[in-house]
Amino acid sequence: MQTKGKILVRGIVQGVGFRPFVYARASEFGIAGSVKNLGSEVEIYARGERFLEFLAAVSRGPPMSRIDSVDVTDTDARIPDGFVIRSSGTGTFSGMIPPDIAICSDCIADIFTPGGRYEGYWATSCVNCGPRYSIIRAIPYDRERTSMDDFPKCPACAGEYGDPHSRRHHAQTIACHRCGPSLRLMDGAGADLPCTDPVREAAALLDAGKILAIRGVGGFHLACIGESSGELKARLGRLEQPFAVMVRPGYAETIACVSPAERELLESPVHPIVVLEKCVHSSHAGISNLHTIGCMLPYTGLHHLLFSHLQHPLLIMTSANMPGYPMITDTDVALAKLAKDADYFLVHNRTIENRVDDSVMRDGLILRLSRGIAPKRTAISLGSRCILGVGPELNANATIYKGGFAVTSPHVGNVRNPATLAYLQETVAKLERLLGAEYDVVAHDLHPQFLSTRFAKEIAEERGIGLVPVQHHRAHIAATTTEPCIGIAIDGVGYGDDGTIWGGEVFAGQVPDLARVAHLEPVAMPGGDLATRFPERMLYGILPEEACLDLLRSRGWTDVEIGVMRKQVAGGFNVTMTSSTGRVLDAAAALLGICRERTYDGEPAMKLESAAAGGKAETWEPVFSRIGGCECLSTRAILKEALTRISCAHNLDQGVIRDIAASLQYNLARGIAALAIHAAEREGISRVALSGGVVANRAIRETIRAEIESNGLALLINYAYPPGDGCVSFGQCVWAGKLS
Amino acid sequence: MKVNLMHGAGGEVMGELLQTLTKFSHNNAGGIGLESLDDGAVIPINGTNIVFTTDSHVVRPLFFPGGDIGRISVCGTVNDLTMMGGRPVALSCGMVIEEGFDVADLARIVASMDEALGEAGACLVTGDTKVVERGSLDGIVINTAGIGVAKTVVRDNGLVPGDVIIVSGTLGDHGIAIMAHREGFDLGEQIHSDVAPLWGMMEGVLAAGTIHAMKDPTRGGFASAINEMAKKSRVQVRIEEDRIPLRRSVKSAAGMLGIDPLEVANEGKVVMGVPAADADAILAALHSHKYGKDAAVVGRVVAGSHVIMETAIGGERFIEPPMGDPVPRVC
Ligand SMILES: [Fe+3]
Ligand SMILES: [Mg+2]
Ligand SMILES: [Zn+2]
Ligand SMILES: [Zn+2]
Repeated sequence: MQTKGKILVRGIVQGVGFRPFVYARASEFGIAGSVKNLGSEVEIYARGERFLEFLAAVSRGPPMSRIDSVDVTDTDARIPDGFVIRSSGTGTFSGMIPPDIAICSDCIADIFTPGGRYEGYWATSCVNCGPRYSIIRAIPYDRERTSMDDFPKCPACAGEYGDPHSRRHHAQTIACHRCGPSLRLMDGAGADLPCTDPVREAAALLDAGKILAIRGVGGFHLACIGESSGELKARLGRLEQPFAVMVRPGYAETIACVSPAERELLESPVHPIVVLEKCVHSSHAGISNLHTIGCMLPYTGLHHLLFSHLQHPLLIMTSANMPGYPMITDTDVALAKLAKDADYFLVHNRTIENRVDDSVMRDGLILRLSRGIAPKRTAISLGSRCILGVGPELNANATIYKGGFAVTSPHVGNVRNPATLAYLQETVAKLERLLGAEYDVVAHDLHPQFLSTRFAKEIAEERGIGLVPVQHHRAHIAATTTEPCIGIAIDGVGYGDDGTIWGGEVFAGQVPDLARVAHLEPVAMPGGDLATRFPERMLYGILPEEACLDLLRSRGWTDVEIGVMRKQVAGGFNVTMTSSTGRVLDAAAALLGICRERTYDGEPAMKLESAAAGGKAETWEPVFSRIGGCECLSTRAILKEALTRISCAHNLDQGVIRDIAASLQYNLARGIAALAIHAAEREGISRVALSGGVVANRAIRETIRAEIESNGLALLINYAYPPGDGCVSFGQCVWAGKLS
Repeated sequence: MKVNLMHGAGGEVMGELLQTLTKFSHNNAGGIGLESLDDGAVIPINGTNIVFTTDSHVVRPLFFPGGDIGRISVCGTVNDLTMMGGRPVALSCGMVIEEGFDVADLARIVASMDEALGEAGACLVTGDTKVVERGSLDGIVINTAGIGVAKTVVRDNGLVPGDVIIVSGTLGDHGIAIMAHREGFDLGEQIHSDVAPLWGMMEGVLAAGTIHAMKDPTRGGFASAINEMAKKSRVQVRIEEDRIPLRRSVKSAAGMLGIDPLEVANEGKVVMGVPAADADAILAALHSHKYGKDAAVVGRVVAGSHVIMETAIGGERFIEPPMGDPVPRVC
């Protein structure tokens, strides 16, 4: 029986309390030896009668760890009695540091323990919780390579750090009032507010209706009570966009229906924003005019302290940035850029090394992959090359594949402007450094004008490495499955093989060979992107009929505008053809008068979904045609049915609109499912993969699911990556990997 | 690869074609040659800088609000000479005419050319005419070449950090006017082309101060010209959106059609980079001329690369060289 050996553990084994965990198991099983971090692995020397029991326990790992492999080898090394945690050595970068973890219940208890060392301390954390990725500069993950290096431990903290029986044994983020990062409350000009307790004072200001910029784990939030939402929207110039809220534990249930699964998500170590259906759809309209509201629970000591003083049960918490721009992380930048938006600033002095937005989830789907989830690491076999996927342009992130693992960065944003492009470049550089990844190939979107495409080309030229362009919707499917499948991509716009704009596509085959076999009928986008901003243009692009123009005229379109658009569509002047699903939903929202101008990403489709919530859908006969060997679903026929219903309605009240909206979504979804089912029959494939931004729409997703499954086919949705464009960089890597 | 229409649109795609078309080993006669891809060539002869350029014109329609193909074919060459700092002296004219072309139209074209020559102070001193079979081209092609004399040669690659960027007037007028007229859009208001010979105005401007770089934003518009200038000068240009002079009618038409007025042609405008200290004097010289009344400072030059627009709402975006045809990208 083995009683001695060297154990190498690979996986997410740093920043999760692995070494103290090993120490505790060693004590438990009477094991002598040592443990140390090597790069991103953990190396253990162990000797003792109960070696095998120790090995089994170590192989399970502490709760936050993810173990990929445990290798045991014989060793001739002399192992003295006792067990020690050694300081880190350098080594490989095969693993990854974990994401930031919401404060644990033990630490919350510490904060509220009267007379305790951590009473009222905002940055209390332990081996099981606290910031990780947001503070790391380099690996191995040790205090001196994080922004906690600026805060030398006081004797009491040092004592706990070295105490094997403490929850903070080797907790790199250990800190207290005496030694750790501290808070400041400033007015809009950056001058300190005289007060003894900045958090108590901040809570009082919030209760009084003030807007505060609060520096959190991965960046700044703008916070205020619900009553101040109008003021915040006015200041930000975002009158329509719904805000997320942070609520006192237990309060979410009073404003929204929270399923057990949703509660579990809310309280998980991620603590994401969870998009919940409101109890009363029209409630809290000042915060969200949709039927849903994004809720999260306090996830740091600071938040818990804030709520302990706050009279109100709910705070709007929106990330502080212009839409599409990176969230602000630095205090001086916040003071400069948020001067008009925030009345006061509640800040800390712990450097945010890596920006992380709040993650957003809905129905178990990740809508924004960020804090608590990213950097996201997936074991997948994509060959021996190191691959960089730079993502698309909107809702982008980056992924690097190396040696059996793909690692995806947190949400980067809309790479449409210099600041976000710079953030993408910075993110790629950081991932590269943290993973020790020197990539051999860069995968990018097929769109010739995306800034990410330009970035990919620059890298490839600079380093003399290969480029792999990946069609946007094939990347969506590649992110879902690499098995043979029928792939449905229901999405916004993506550049297609033929230079037109795709987004309602059905593929058949297996990555990297997916043939486009069906799609939505190509329709006109009058004025290109202008039709995305003004959905009524899209409506006419799909339904170029007088009845449609009459409707627009009744809404105030001038004769000149009508004439120009009619001529534009008829002559095909600056008109692009698209099969996008998102644009059909936009047109549907325009038809129902729900959204006439898009002021934030996805607005028309989200408002359509809200308008349809609870509606009764009619079944309309789908109309199919064949174009160039592909089966096409007529979206014109669907909108025309709706237009007929509108014209026939005696009185277009909310109930009528609700039913028509529900019918629009239902029949579109049913038609798309039919395209996939027909393709599955033709190709003899029984697996259907579903991806694309429209998957976030519950009604459409569930209709497709029901249709697919009732036809005896299996539906695959990737719940580990966003269905929207947050999966594209990963899909690009998969595609490029499978291509070689 | 076969030549397609995108290759002539002046955007990035055209660059691919130019790689083939500029493979001349005999490309420089002693000063600035083909390799510079500037507005024209410079050939020093006995201490005098002779500027030489050529341009072919195939505009449709032939007659449009604010001008015609004749006026454009003179202004195109006169302005290219002017952009090198050259006083236009003499032009040649080669016409290829389709069988069946109306002689009365030819007379209008010639009269219009003559008027533009008079304005520019240049003469058309030699020419050539070919008539081709019906169907082998659409109406008429006019090529002009011209020589000028430059006291100080101005390049398009001389921007330096600290310069300010000036445009001589409203942008996008010609492109939108042509589009509207050709497609028959009723925009509620007539938009006129800005086609004009610029030597008269620029003579005064050149005397008023130093110009580090200039270019006429023709095909590909301001977006193309400013990117070329920034790239060749290895600098970053920052443009302030709300300082760009745009005619209200052009803005509204562009807004209705989804066209970026910065990406369409101008035929009577200059983009220049000048030292900040000279900006006022140069602006005053521009404002004193009828073609420069709307001149404005629109941006500045800093170290770096690319052209960045500071938007009216406080954001930033890249001004990119147009591809030729816009492709939707908003998800
Ligand atoms: Fe997408
Ligand atoms: Mg020049
Ligand atoms: Zn804890
Ligand atoms: Zn301490």
